[in-house]
Amino acid sequence: MRHCGWLLVLVVCLAPGAGAQTPQNADLRLALQAYDNLDFTRAITLARRALGVRMSGADQARAYELLGFAYSATDSQVKAVDAFKQTILLDPDRELDPSKISPKITSLFYSALGQVLVVRQLRVDSARFVGGQGTVPIRFTVTSPARVRTRAVSGRTTVLIDSSVATGTVNLRWPAQLANGDLVPAGDWLIIVEAGAAQNSFSASQAVRIAYGSVDTLPHLTSLPGYQELPETEVAPQTWRPAGLAFLYTSGALIGTLGLESTTLGSGSKRELSVVGAAALVAGVVMTLRKPAPRPAEGNILYNRLLHEQLARRNQEIAQQNVTRRKQVELSVAALPKPSGGR
Amino acid sequence: MTRPAWGLAIGAACALGTQPGSAQRVTIGPQFVLASYREVSSGLQYQGAGFGGAAVARWRRFSAEAVVTRVTFNPSGSTATLKSFDATQIDAWLAYDIAPYASLEAGLTHRSPSPEFGAQSVGAVRVGARASSEIGPGATVSFRADYLAAPQFSGGGHASLSLDLGLGLDVRLAGRLHAIAAYAFQHIDRKDNPGGTAPDTPAPIQQSLARLGLGVGF
Repeated sequence: MRHCGWLLVLVVCLAPGAGAQTPQNADLRLALQAYDNLDFTRAITLARRALGVRMSGADQARAYELLGFAYSATDSQVKAVDAFKQTILLDPDRELDPSKISPKITSLFYSALGQVLVVRQLRVDSARFVGGQGTVPIRFTVTSPARVRTRAVSGRTTVLIDSSVATGTVNLRWPAQLANGDLVPAGDWLIIVEAGAAQNSFSASQAVRIAYGSVDTLPHLTSLPGYQELPETEVAPQTWRPAGLAFLYTSGALIGTLGLESTTLGSGSKRELSVVGAAALVAGVVMTLRKPAPRPAEGNILYNRLLHEQLARRNQEIAQQNVTRRKQVELSVAALPKPSGGR
Repeated sequence: MTRPAWGLAIGAACALGTQPGSAQRVTIGPQFVLASYREVSSGLQYQGAGFGGAAVARWRRFSAEAVVTRVTFNPSGSTATLKSFDATQIDAWLAYDIAPYASLEAGLTHRSPSPEFGAQSVGAVRVGARASSEIGPGATVSFRADYLAAPQFSGGGHASLSLDLGLGLDVRLAGRLHAIAAYAFQHIDRKDNPGGTAPDTPAPIQQSLARLGLGVGF
């Protein structure tokens, strides 16, 4: 019953290496066919025979993985773990898809992973930053506690990035600077991660290309975002105030004249007052009917002045920043295609 | 009014007008004058026309104005014995703005006829106030009331109440060119006592004067 249960599980799972390229070794191909036919004993025999001859690293890893699967199916857990350990050493980045592989096989795989020392999933993210103001993200996983040294090497130049005891996922930030603080020279660099514990050691590497570029300068502003200049003149609403004032002043002069006139001298012709009073009234009416001239809007003028001062101050800051930026270098770091895993 | 006093007044006006400064403004120009003059009784009535000139200077809150007119007065009543005469009048003000629309002023006025006995020669000190309002761009209307203190007459006498009212209009026509119209009504409640023994005899003097002209601003 127990065997039948595992067989059902394995039937619904993909065969090891499914979707990968067809192996060159004939025995390995036959072993894969036997595994597909649920003939695990024959699959183990053929896989072991295939490992007895010279094969590529990928085929070797595939053969050991097939062995791990087959031993798992036959309940030979120790042998399965040993086979998976060999697989991991040959291909440290190898992963099993938990959604397609049975939990039992997956657990054995991770059990094997914890028993070997490898550096997995070394990733150097592409980055672009101003020299001295940014870092290159580096991350990897160490499967067992170990002294981990991370270096960057280009030709004879070696830069120590980090040295620490670590296990699990490690995240590093490399400022791409030499020990004296200068930026690393442009060119191809190799990020090497070396892990060592007792007699075991492992290293993984990732090639990156570092290029220099000029830092973009900031454009000068012609306006402040979100702020607009206001009109500096405004047209007052049309009123009868001019005519009213002219009438008031003329009336004052008329009343004063009539009040001060001496009775003994008789009443005058008021010719002079008529002329000037009429001129004042006409001027008042004309000013009333005339379209008001735009007058300075003091509040808006003050606002615009402050806006211009702010804009000038901001442009001055931009100019200073551009002076600094022209002296800076922009580093572009790009990861290159990964070479073979590790050893 | 003595000659040194007139010289001082005109000199002060000129001094204000020639001082440098962004707030300084000077307007000067010729004027056509219409005037009516009455004296003592309703029988002494004159009307005339003439010419004149005015200068106005402004400096900060201070302003000075000087006006000179010369009018030929002709009898306008039915009295045939009256003769024409020319009158030269000089007015000067110094004003200080106590508010954008009001100012206090002091000055002088002097009118002298030619021939000398054609009419009373009058001189007095002015003390008063002026209100002005802007009725449009470059257009100002003003009203003035002055008390004429310590009046002196060529024929003697005294005046307990002497007032001078004025209405002014200044409109900037274009650029520096201004149109100016001004009205002044002067009432002097003169009393005379020729013999020195009888009660004072009323001999009022009344003049209304209109000035119309152009001015150039600097």
